Amino acid sequence: MTAETQSPAQTSEPLDLQMLIETIPAMVVCALPDGSVEFANRAWQEYTGGSLQQLTGSGWQTVIHPDDVRGFAEEWNASLSTGKPFATEARMRRADGKYHWFLIRKALAIPPNQSDDSSLRTLIACEDINDRKQAEAKQRQSEIQLQVFFENSPNMIFLKDRKGRYIYANREFKRVRSITEEHINGKTDDELFPAEQATTFQASDRRVLEAGVPIDFEHVTMQNDGEHTSIAQKFPLFNADGEIYGIGGIVTDITERKREEAARRYIEESHRLVLETASDAVITMDENGAIGFANPATMRIFGYHPTELIGKKLTVLMPEWMRKLHDGGFRRYLATGQRHINWQGTELTGLRKTGEEFPVEVSFGELTRDGHKVFTGFIRDISARKNAEEKLRASERSLRELTETIPQMLWSAEPDGAVDYCNQRALDYTGLSAEQVRGAGWMKTVHRDDIESMSRAWTTAVSSGEPFQQEFRSLRAADQTYRWCISRALPLRDPNGRILKWFGTVVDLHDWREAQQALRMTQAELARVSRLTTMGELAASIAHEVNQPLTAVTNNGSACLRLLANRSLEPEVLRRALEEIVADGTRASAVIARIRGFIKKAPVEKTVLDVNEVIQEVLALAAHELHKNQVLFECQLSNTLPLVRADRIQLQQVLLNLIMNSIEAMTGAANQSRVLAVESRVDESGDVLVAVRDSGPGLGSQEDRLFTPFFTTKANGMGMGLPISRSLIESHGGRLWATTNSPHGAVFSFTLPAAGESPS
Amino acid sequence: MTTASLVFVVDDDPSVRSSLKFLLSTVGLQAETFESADSFLCRKPADIPSCLVLDVRLPGLSGLDFQRELATRNVCIPIVFLTGHGDIPMSVRAMKAGAVEFLTKPFRDQELLDAVRVALDRDRARRKHDMEVADLRQRFDSLTSREQEVVSMVVAGMLNKQIAAELGTAESTVKVQRSRAMEKMQAASLAELIRMIEKVKAPSEKAS
Repeated sequence: MTAETQSPAQTSEPLDLQMLIETIPAMVVCALPDGSVEFANRAWQEYTGGSLQQLTGSGWQTVIHPDDVRGFAEEWNASLSTGKPFATEARMRRADGKYHWFLIRKALAIPPNQSDDSSLRTLIACEDINDRKQAEAKQRQSEIQLQVFFENSPNMIFLKDRKGRYIYANREFKRVRSITEEHINGKTDDELFPAEQATTFQASDRRVLEAGVPIDFEHVTMQNDGEHTSIAQKFPLFNADGEIYGIGGIVTDITERKREEAARRYIEESHRLVLETASDAVITMDENGAIGFANPATMRIFGYHPTELIGKKLTVLMPEWMRKLHDGGFRRYLATGQRHINWQGTELTGLRKTGEEFPVEVSFGELTRDGHKVFTGFIRDISARKNAEEKLRASERSLRELTETIPQMLWSAEPDGAVDYCNQRALDYTGLSAEQVRGAGWMKTVHRDDIESMSRAWTTAVSSGEPFQQEFRSLRAADQTYRWCISRALPLRDPNGRILKWFGTVVDLHDWREAQQALRMTQAELARVSRLTTMGELAASIAHEVNQPLTAVTNNGSACLRLLANRSLEPEVLRRALEEIVADGTRASAVIARIRGFIKKAPVEKTVLDVNEVIQEVLALAAHELHKNQVLFECQLSNTLPLVRADRIQLQQVLLNLIMNSIEAMTGAANQSRVLAVESRVDESGDVLVAVRDSGPGLGSQEDRLFTPFFTTKANGMGMGLPISRSLIESHGGRLWATTNSPHGAVFSFTLPAAGESPS
Repeated sequence: MTTASLVFVVDDDPSVRSSLKFLLSTVGLQAETFESADSFLCRKPADIPSCLVLDVRLPGLSGLDFQRELATRNVCIPIVFLTGHGDIPMSVRAMKAGAVEFLTKPFRDQELLDAVRVALDRDRARRKHDMEVADLRQRFDSLTSREQEVVSMVVAGMLNKQIAAELGTAESTVKVQRSRAMEKMQAASLAELIRMIEKVKAPSEKAS
């Protein structure tokens, strides 16, 4: 079907226009001002395969792709109403149903013919742009791929123009450079980076632009997680004319790689250093037993230069007698995998180049390289260590000999108090074995009554770290008797004060204690004796004490007799007198009973003696008491003292009595310094004067009764010490009296007449 | 026996004190007892013949110290010492210091009573002598000073003439003064005057 045949109107149209349209080598439709199509040329019809009727009016739009028709219509209507040019792209259906892209545009407006009232006509040209569109789509696809590629690249990628303005920067670039702006296009480094960095970047850009070739740059930049090193590969961008229009850049962060490289270099360097500087000889050997490598220490140890050894058999480093063993063992190992010696730290004998044999400690390693076994030997010269060990052993031996032969029991314990060692002497003493004494085993030998105090003292010492000291009874194995011992221990501490160990001793002080006991008993005896005296002195006391009631009895009796003689004795008077007589008689017998208790006979033997000597003797006896009661002691003895004639024992008794009294007086009073002073001098009349001063509470109101027999201020006192002392001194022709000391305390003084010229 | 006398007993033993008092009462002697020297010293001195029975060992002052103390206080009282045991040096000291007796307990009753009697007699005699001397002193004090001078010279054995020459007066004047002094002193003879003046001039040197 043709246009001529189908359209009756065609005939009315001017032929030239229709002719013109038909000659246009494009698809053309002619539209009327209302947008309806008047006709379409053959090309159009052929393409669409539609009849003219179908196309007229707005029917032509039915060939537009449904997706494009709406846009097309809007454009078309807009152009119709405004008269503006019209051009749009849309897909049109071909006769075979396929769509092609067309550029549809207003090609020509044909003014109306004045002759008739025909309308303005518009020629719409439809140009097939399908090929272009497809190319464009392909292009776009490739661009998208490129962009995806860029955006996802782990490298930073950017493009800049010649002036350094960014054309593009990928996501990684923005991320790494901490750029938050969505679009950085048009911006320069100056705007994006710190001045210093921007300058660096720009300088490298300039170099690329000047050189016109790609250049690699290493940039160090600070990032949030520290310093990063990166390689920026920059290259010029050429346009189609071969002119540089910009710069492209691909930046690779090599920080990690650099670090790994440095680490690898470090390890390699370390390995080399280890080998070079090792004090041990490091030697490798192949399956044939030939040396492949030897480090410098080999020279020092064996005397061979490393290069000398390469290729030689390892056996040159062994004494003759070892070589066969080595070869045999080595062969067996290669064959069976059985090692004939320990491969770790085996002590063997080495042979120096000089022929000297020396002790070595050898360790072996094995690895397979290129299918062959390689053995590495680490050889240490241990002659020095061996020497030191020998010395240490000798020193330990002598120390052990010392601890085992020292005439003292020694022990040591762990910081927790568990005993871990007792020397032989201690073991012999207790009869226990070294195993038995361990821990708290030694407790077995402690007397049952002392176990509690002993373990308490030891626990306290261990927990507090205070020095330990405890007396206890220990069973002596030799005679199965319990003997008094004293154990002392001190902790050994590290520089931080932590206890490392306890070292202790045990001393058997049984004999010493017994001697001390005996001494104390002697002292007690002497003190007791000092309360008594010879028969003479005792008689004086008896005389007084007994004579009082006797006198009363006699008086009363005599009085009664007199009254009886006068016959004037009244029964009441007699009864009262008799009652008194009975009471006094009872009293007298009580006194005698009391005295009888401590009668002690001591012969009096007066000799010429030095009072100072006696003082010293007594002080020696009293030393224990002085010390025990923490009494400070002063002594002022005259050098020019004349001798006296006296009974030494009695004089000792008097002095000891006075000193003990003073000590007791001072210890009874708290919070006072305890000072005892003994003085000897010559008094005005030429007699020897001895004074015992104390800092006790003094005489007080009791002063008057001090010398009264049986008067005492002490709980256990007999009240005879001072009266007897006084009578003893008086029997020597001297005097004994008490005065008050200043600022407090008492002074007991006595005098003894000088013996004169008589030598004996 | 004698009413106007008093025995002081100082002993720290109450039995001894009461028995002594009982014993002394059997011979009519009144006794006052003291347990210590101090309490005795607190008592006002008796103005009748008295004596002291004293235990050598006393609380406070010892007997001998007490004896010394009394002497320094110029208290003249005869002392009979009692002691628990014979101590010769002590008794010698006591006797030397004028003790009447030194008795060792227990003593026979008669010994004590005798000693007490001697002591009281001695005190009585001392009191009499003291009274005489006081009387004589009173008389002597009534003399004019010139008469005392003259008497002193007479007693010294000077003649009237010598005295007159010494004093630069007439012998007759001396004679008058001498006879007036004899009169005031109630001296019957020159010998009696001399004895009187001796007593006056040596005041109680031998007290006990």
